Amino acid sequence: MISDRLKANLKREFDRSLMAKLGLAIAIVILLLATFAPILATHNPTTTGQFDEHGNSYPPWGVTHETHTWEDGDDGRERISYTAEPSPDHYLGTNNIGQDVFSRLLYGARTSLLVGLIGTGLAAAVGVPFGLISGYYGGRIDDSMMRIADVMLAFPSLVLAIALIGVFGRSEQFIPDPIVMAGFADGMPEYAVLPGTVTLVVALVNWVWFARVARGEAMSVRSEEYVKAARSLGANNRTILVKHVLPNSLTPIIVLATIQVAAIILLESALSYLGFSGTTLSWGYEIQQGQDYLATAWWIATVPGIGIVLAVISINLLGDWLRDSLDPNIGGEGGV
Amino acid sequence: MSYAKFLVKRILQGVFVVWGVVTVTFALRAAAPGDPVNLIVDPGASPELREQIRREVGLDQPLYVQYLEYLQGLVVGDLGFSYQSRRDVSIMIAERLPATLELAIAATIVAVVIAIPLGVVSATRRHEPADYGATLFSLVGISTPNFWLGIMLILVLSVQIGLFPVSGRPVSFTDAVVSLVTTGYAHDLVTWLRHIALPAITLGTYFTALITRLTRSGMLDELGKPYVTATEAKGLPGVLIRYKHVLRNTMIPIVTVLGLQLGTLIGGAVITEAVFNWPGLGSRLISAIYAVDWPLIQGIIIVIGVGFVCINILVDSIYAYLNPRVTDE
Repeated sequence: MISDRLKANLKREFDRSLMAKLGLAIAIVILLLATFAPILATHNPTTTGQFDEHGNSYPPWGVTHETHTWEDGDDGRERISYTAEPSPDHYLGTNNIGQDVFSRLLYGARTSLLVGLIGTGLAAAVGVPFGLISGYYGGRIDDSMMRIADVMLAFPSLVLAIALIGVFGRSEQFIPDPIVMAGFADGMPEYAVLPGTVTLVVALVNWVWFARVARGEAMSVRSEEYVKAARSLGANNRTILVKHVLPNSLTPIIVLATIQVAAIILLESALSYLGFSGTTLSWGYEIQQGQDYLATAWWIATVPGIGIVLAVISINLLGDWLRDSLDPNIGGEGGV
Repeated sequence: MSYAKFLVKRILQGVFVVWGVVTVTFALRAAAPGDPVNLIVDPGASPELREQIRREVGLDQPLYVQYLEYLQGLVVGDLGFSYQSRRDVSIMIAERLPATLELAIAATIVAVVIAIPLGVVSATRRHEPADYGATLFSLVGISTPNFWLGIMLILVLSVQIGLFPVSGRPVSFTDAVVSLVTTGYAHDLVTWLRHIALPAITLGTYFTALITRLTRSGMLDELGKPYVTATEAKGLPGVLIRYKHVLRNTMIPIVTVLGLQLGTLIGGAVITEAVFNWPGLGSRLISAIYAVDWPLIQGIIIVIGVGFVCINILVDSIYAYLNPRVTDE
């Protein structure tokens, strides 16, 4: 599947394109930061302020920076926020409940990447077979399958995702963190959190794009000589689909998968911004928390947003690189 | 295939999709956990009262009867009652629709007005600073989550500089225009503009970036074609060639992609409304989800689906009209 010619194309495009190099570099850095978050984090990302006998919270790390008080609009009770500005203690400051923003940035990257990669994998696992079957058999099967896809496309993905979460409810799965388990990062959370429903929902919302692309490829491949040859040699449809149609359809599916990781990261952040995610260790959730503190602590909402933008830009750049090198028809110059 | 036949086929397909959307949302509602009666009366109500309400709302009927009754109501525009506010869902949607339309149209205007000149400049001054700037802008634009962009705009332009209000929509566009016409003062219109500016930029930026990319690549394709060289040889001014001939040919793929991206526009409106507390359909959908108010959720999703299908049919028929080869397929 990865032929020598393809490798040569990938390399040529990579050497030629500054953007491809930049995209790969950012992506690798983010991947490393996310993987080794327990070691690199300076504080436990979930540790908040603690409470004294009066019920007031105080910061866990002796934050001495400016504290802000204000009248809460709802109950008129005065609350104290122990938001700390960026400092050597807290590289990127703390949020409104005293959690370290830098550490939460690293852990948020984990959530985004986990949902992005697993969600894309699930979407492809559903969409690709669906599209291949639809395009390969054609006719009435294709018609009815594509009507289902049309219905899916009539829902804006965010709207459908919200409705599905309304049905399934929020959930989170706990995955033991091997780095902490092995004793390399004491005091860090022992489990990585995967927002299960969100992962499932982004796949349910986005599989249809894979179906469309796979269908188009299957349609163009099915009348090729080698498929006819395989058929006349007595190969059954399943064998032809798996051994011939799928491998020859992979190129655009890989390009789509790359772009989908970015799309799903954006969707996940939007869902957690709206409060529909299962976990609070998420960039979108952090931005929502920070929105109330824009006037006093701009960094809470700003920092995780930069994380999202960098992650999505790097993936989009990788997608451009893949497309330019895998698809000689589109070419590098005028392609969108 | 004749154009009329194409239209009929396309509309029938649209009707099918709308039916599909209705059925899927009905299925979602049926699959949702919890007893809807709990959402209508308070948990302490007597069993008799609960049964009475179940009967009145029709929840005691078998599912297929509820489904058929819902379809029947839908045909005459009856979307049922909200569990939470006990109001007519169709009225609750109608009162929020103008705000969402204002936002979507304003965002589209922002996108088109900025993106098309930017794309043209980028394509005609290739590999110059303007081109690199436009390319970088569009890369960042399609990679930025719009809710975060909105919050950053609030941070800089509202909180720091105080140029725009943080949120809300104190006056509707129609009221603002009526006030301008009847009193002669533009005060309300200015208020409306100041409130919609940031949401429109927030929602429009992704599309600005997308259309800039599409315009640039489409123009580059077109500029390489022989007719451009021919018109240049005839001595037509470059500006005229670019905007009158080349851009027009570039518009067809742009319109097609925009039709496909309509779902993104609506989804983006939902979250933009949440950021700016904009009283449209999107913020109503989100509060309906929090309140598990399924008749309202269902109604809003159906209205969005119908809007999406109608605009796509419109785009397709314009496209087929401009490009008759489409109807041959």
